[in-house]
Amino acid sequence: MAGVTPEVREQLRAVANVRWRLLVNSLRSVRGRLNLVSRSIAALLVTGAGLGGAFALGATAWELTSTGKLPWLAVFFWIVFLFWQFFPVMATAFTQNVDTSALLRFPLTYRTYFFVRLVFGALDIATALGLCWSLGLLVGVSVATPRLIPWALLAVLGFIVFNLLLSRTVFVWIEHWLSRRRSREVVGLLFFVMMIGFQFVGPALNRYSKQPAAQRFRYVAKLEPVQQILPPGLAATLLTTADAGKATGALAIFALIVAYSGAALWLLHLRLQQQYRGENPEGVSGPRNLVFTSNVVNRGWKLPFFPAPISAVFEKELRYFSRSGPMLFTMVMPLVVILLLSSGKRGLLAHQSDLFFPIGAGYCLLVMTNLVYNSFGGDGGGIQAFLMAPVPFRQIVFAKNLAQLTVLTIEILLLLLGISLIYRPPHPAFLTLTFCWYLFAAPVNFGAGNLLSIYSPKRIDYAIFGRQRASETTIFASLGIQLVVMGIGVLAVVLGYHYSDYWLSTLILTVLAIPSIAGYVILLRRIDQIIMTRREVLASELCRA
Amino acid sequence: MDAAILTAGLTRRFGDFTAVQDVNLYVEPGQFYGFLGPNGAGKSTTIKMLTGLMAPTSGRMQILGLDLATHLVEVKRQIGVVPEGMALFGRLTGSEYLNFAGRMYGLDRNTAAQRAGELLEFMELSDHPKTLITDYSHGMQKKLAMAAAVIHGPKVLFLDEPFEGVDAIASGTLKAMLQRMIARGATIFLTSHVLEIVERLCSHVGIIDNGRLVAQGPLDELRTGIADESSPGERMSLEEFFLKTVGGPRTAGQELSWLG
Repeated sequence: MAGVTPEVREQLRAVANVRWRLLVNSLRSVRGRLNLVSRSIAALLVTGAGLGGAFALGATAWELTSTGKLPWLAVFFWIVFLFWQFFPVMATAFTQNVDTSALLRFPLTYRTYFFVRLVFGALDIATALGLCWSLGLLVGVSVATPRLIPWALLAVLGFIVFNLLLSRTVFVWIEHWLSRRRSREVVGLLFFVMMIGFQFVGPALNRYSKQPAAQRFRYVAKLEPVQQILPPGLAATLLTTADAGKATGALAIFALIVAYSGAALWLLHLRLQQQYRGENPEGVSGPRNLVFTSNVVNRGWKLPFFPAPISAVFEKELRYFSRSGPMLFTMVMPLVVILLLSSGKRGLLAHQSDLFFPIGAGYCLLVMTNLVYNSFGGDGGGIQAFLMAPVPFRQIVFAKNLAQLTVLTIEILLLLLGISLIYRPPHPAFLTLTFCWYLFAAPVNFGAGNLLSIYSPKRIDYAIFGRQRASETTIFASLGIQLVVMGIGVLAVVLGYHYSDYWLSTLILTVLAIPSIAGYVILLRRIDQIIMTRREVLASELCRA
Repeated sequence: MDAAILTAGLTRRFGDFTAVQDVNLYVEPGQFYGFLGPNGAGKSTTIKMLTGLMAPTSGRMQILGLDLATHLVEVKRQIGVVPEGMALFGRLTGSEYLNFAGRMYGLDRNTAAQRAGELLEFMELSDHPKTLITDYSHGMQKKLAMAAAVIHGPKVLFLDEPFEGVDAIASGTLKAMLQRMIARGATIFLTSHVLEIVERLCSHVGIIDNGRLVAQGPLDELRTGIADESSPGERMSLEEFFLKTVGGPRTAGQELSWLG
């Protein structure tokens, strides 16, 4: 970096050193070492996906370039772009963003702050994979036609820089919007409008798929100019233009990509500058509009059939959830995924709309992972209130599970409503099958979630986007459990399909639900003993600043 | 009559480090007991053990005659605690949190709501009904934590640094409330670094240093006792007594030469 003063260099070194010391110090505990193992496995998986994807994309790019089908590269640039930008937003549960806003109390220059936010923010899975895959495209084109190497370098590097900047920009702006109640409501409304809008997607796609091929290509052709002027399309067009020997045109296209990157950079700068000037990203220290009202305190909720402490914890949990923008955001994701899977005639599940509901319901459970498997994470120092209360701890844990089940039920009902409106109501056999799978899967998840919440807690902030990730051990263990539970569900469906009777699948899952529920109850009864041995670790981990 | 707080041989080790060693506390009902000690002496560890947040390595603890090891839930019902971390839920409003705390301590919904309203008024927090706790100032959070600790009318109140970060006005309000509780027969066990507050409020003190209880008893007796040894007939201030017991301040030779 030109013009970097020794002081700035020292600050950057100090920040990097802090990150390193945090990692080293985390290894002092057994949990920290376990997390390192989990991180290593994650790193291996990411490396595999990165290298595998890079090889596949490289081979495809080579084939397309060799056969003179360079314009088709746009499809693959779009795939990489969509993954790079949407994965971090959709998978906030499994990605982590280092909280670098705390650095603001030190005398950092804005440039240093910007640089630190950009670099440390970019250390995520999507960026790593996006980089690998983009480089795969670069190598593929370069090997196929060496004279295109300089142009491929320009196109791919421009594409990478644009994606890096855009992903950071999207993240900081979403974080900003979701951190404020008013804008959170606006975003919520936008999502609602989007969901209503999705109702028209199904019929539109249906109509589109019934048209003859020539007609369909006409629609694609209409989209072509739009995609061409956006960065992924521009990257492919740059290569096509350069291949045709039009160097000036290719340079002009590169300039356009740079302009897009500049726009993303400007938007990122706007946000980070506001933070740098003192606006708290959490919106916690801004001027407050204090409204004097009469001193009437709401009596709180009362759940029928349950003791008061369960009602109190249940109410607290739902209030927390309703105030977490990122968590509310994840609630619409199952429906979005269903729409992605079903989009168009060639969609993965276009002919299997009956499977939409079970798949969406499975995904609903997946997006609840953080809430279920690190259920004390959002409580922070409040965990002491639970530990000090004269209430059996199993009641607290049960109330939390009850709240999680409520959220899950609402999410599934939304999904059911969405699928029924967009496509058609699920077949009763699939509805029952999904319900029975839940009877089996939910207690397994809640039981395992309770244990991991106690044994591997991690303080998180549900209010800030990208800071909801549980510990690595928890993530891997939970994903393993989800995989087994979903695998069993799939196996039951396959058996039902094989014997042409999905009621058989329902029966299998109902039988499996019995030991699952029994296991949950047995575990719940032992929670008070477990918490006695784990209370100190739990409190010290969650009260940590 | 059972002691309000009684410990025998209370010890807590963290690996090779002994944070609290063989502490024998005796606090009678109705006493305002100040638990003092330098940083890292073992005050918070002791409070954590007495309130069930931490298990002792060895030793016995009784609160109001109930053994903590066997009657933890019953003990918790009788006590109120403002722990080191304040035990607040940042994303609830003050009234929601107090209501929650009341119901967790077994109050019915009406009583919890009524007391929550009164406490918010008393603590001068009632004009912030929509503000989340995370947006409160430190002093406001302290007052709220205190309100949550007393909402069920505890017989024994444990306070870990209750006046830290609280302004003079709020501090006066809290002191008045605590003194009223003492007048009604409650027992208060508090730690504080502000010796003037302890001197003004507490009738009894215990001093812990390096995990060991080095002095315990009525404040007046302790001050006179130590003073008698050096200058008979005089009474020491609590600060003098404290420094004499746990060691004096740094000498000038230990000052940082590079500080302006």
